Amino acid sequence: MSLEKKDEHDHKAWLEERDLTAVESIFLTSLIWLDRRFRIVDYLEALETMYYRVNLQMPKSHTEQYNLDNKFWYWYPLYSLGFLSIVAYLVAAVTGAILGFYYAPSTGGDPSAAYNSMLFIMEDLQFGFMLRSIHRWSAQFMLAAVFLHMLRVYFTGAYKEPRELNWLLGVVLISLTLLFGYTGYLLPWKQLSFWAGQIGVEMALATPLVGEWAAQLIFGGFTLGESTLIRMYILHVFVLPFVVTALIALHVGIVWVQGIAEPH
Amino acid sequence: MTGNESTSENRTDEQLRTDGGPPATVPPDDETPTWRERKERTQGLSRLTYEYFERARREDQDLRQESDYVERDVLAFPTWPHEIIRNLAITSFFIGIMILVSAVAPPHFGDPADPASTPAIILPDWYLYWSFGLLHLDPINPELAILGDEKIMGDEMYGVLANGVVVGAIALVPFLNKGSARRPVEQPFWAAVGVGGVVFSITLGVLAIQNLVPLDLNVIFDLTFLLPVIAGIITYAVLKTMREGYMYDLNRRYYRLRPPK
Repeated sequence: MSLEKKDEHDHKAWLEERDLTAVESIFLTSLIWLDRRFRIVDYLEALETMYYRVNLQMPKSHTEQYNLDNKFWYWYPLYSLGFLSIVAYLVAAVTGAILGFYYAPSTGGDPSAAYNSMLFIMEDLQFGFMLRSIHRWSAQFMLAAVFLHMLRVYFTGAYKEPRELNWLLGVVLISLTLLFGYTGYLLPWKQLSFWAGQIGVEMALATPLVGEWAAQLIFGGFTLGESTLIRMYILHVFVLPFVVTALIALHVGIVWVQGIAEPH
Repeated sequence: MTGNESTSENRTDEQLRTDGGPPATVPPDDETPTWRERKERTQGLSRLTYEYFERARREDQDLRQESDYVERDVLAFPTWPHEIIRNLAITSFFIGIMILVSAVAPPHFGDPADPASTPAIILPDWYLYWSFGLLHLDPINPELAILGDEKIMGDEMYGVLANGVVVGAIALVPFLNKGSARRPVEQPFWAAVGVGGVVFSITLGVLAIQNLVPLDLNVIFDLTFLLPVIAGIITYAVLKTMREGYMYDLNRRYYRLRPPK
């Protein structure tokens, strides 16, 4: 018995045991020669698979089976709005981080350090006007996308049975997004910012029991001032980014686990 | 030969069967040869090629099994490049539009904050107009006779409460509307509620910017509540009509089977 490993794939022996004609043996020899060098088996196999795949009778898709393609094509463009809001959120995060280098959250100075820093960003800083413009517009895009996203989910019934929790999470997220926009609206400390803040304080004070406490907590007092601006700044750049990012991750994670609810 | 033998065997089997035969999962066409048969019954060089390829395949398989070669199962499309490139395309399109808009329409920058002078127009950003509009609902804040026509609560608290009611109603939707219907046609009522809500948020926004709208305040206030109802009714009527047509396809067979009166 030989120690040498037995060659189970001995093509030569296989060729000899077959009773081949001259044409056959020439063909097979050249085929083996080519295959050894260029692995044509793989390519032919791929071709073969492609052939059978093309000629395969596929089972009807869900859409074809229920004749749905004329029913939901018009929803389809609205299926990327959640993604658009995330993209806009990321753009706002990047531009906001850069704006944070130049912004000063203070009401001191004439008329105020916050307003002056905005003037500096828009008039003196290279690319500053564009930076602020992008930050603001991406926020507008995010809000619009979030509203339309909610409408799409409502009208396609995507909040139904296994997805109630994600709808609630979405309500929380849209509220936080509005708060995000509101705090950002107050930061430039211009007339509209100030009086929008005034509305907020009055709303808080109008609430019974917790109203004064809420006004103290969120606006830092019953009249607007330095503490209001600092609280809005901290909310806008420190609290909300972490909370909203975490909730968005959870929101998307649940969609990942449950799958996208297609209309059917 | 072998084919004939096997069919005759099957026939005797079927004759001997008393259990009604195998389950009725018959392949679509008995005469369609399988992939393997298609290859095996070919003759000549193509058959030779097939036999060699079978051996070569077997060889590869053996090689894989005896070495420490690890073959991954493909569970999905690879993230790179398929998904990443598609998402980058969409992302760059969106970001491009955002940059274009911010270059074309830069934001307005107003006067600095002045607590001493109240401006003629006080406004939040547009996405809070609906909420600001709810603060203007004081004309319908109920008055009580027992309090001597005094209001139960302050107008501002009434507005804050309205905000809470709206957000609460939205949050309750999945717990009120059950079932598997997914299209507006399938449930015209809920679609009408949705359209009414959208129109209500718009009319509330108009109410919030009332001093910019060239209409009498009372008219604006009435329209704020009338238009959503009208829009809801129209939506309901349209979808109900559409559903009749949509249900016709489903019911046609039923109508055909019914004897004529």
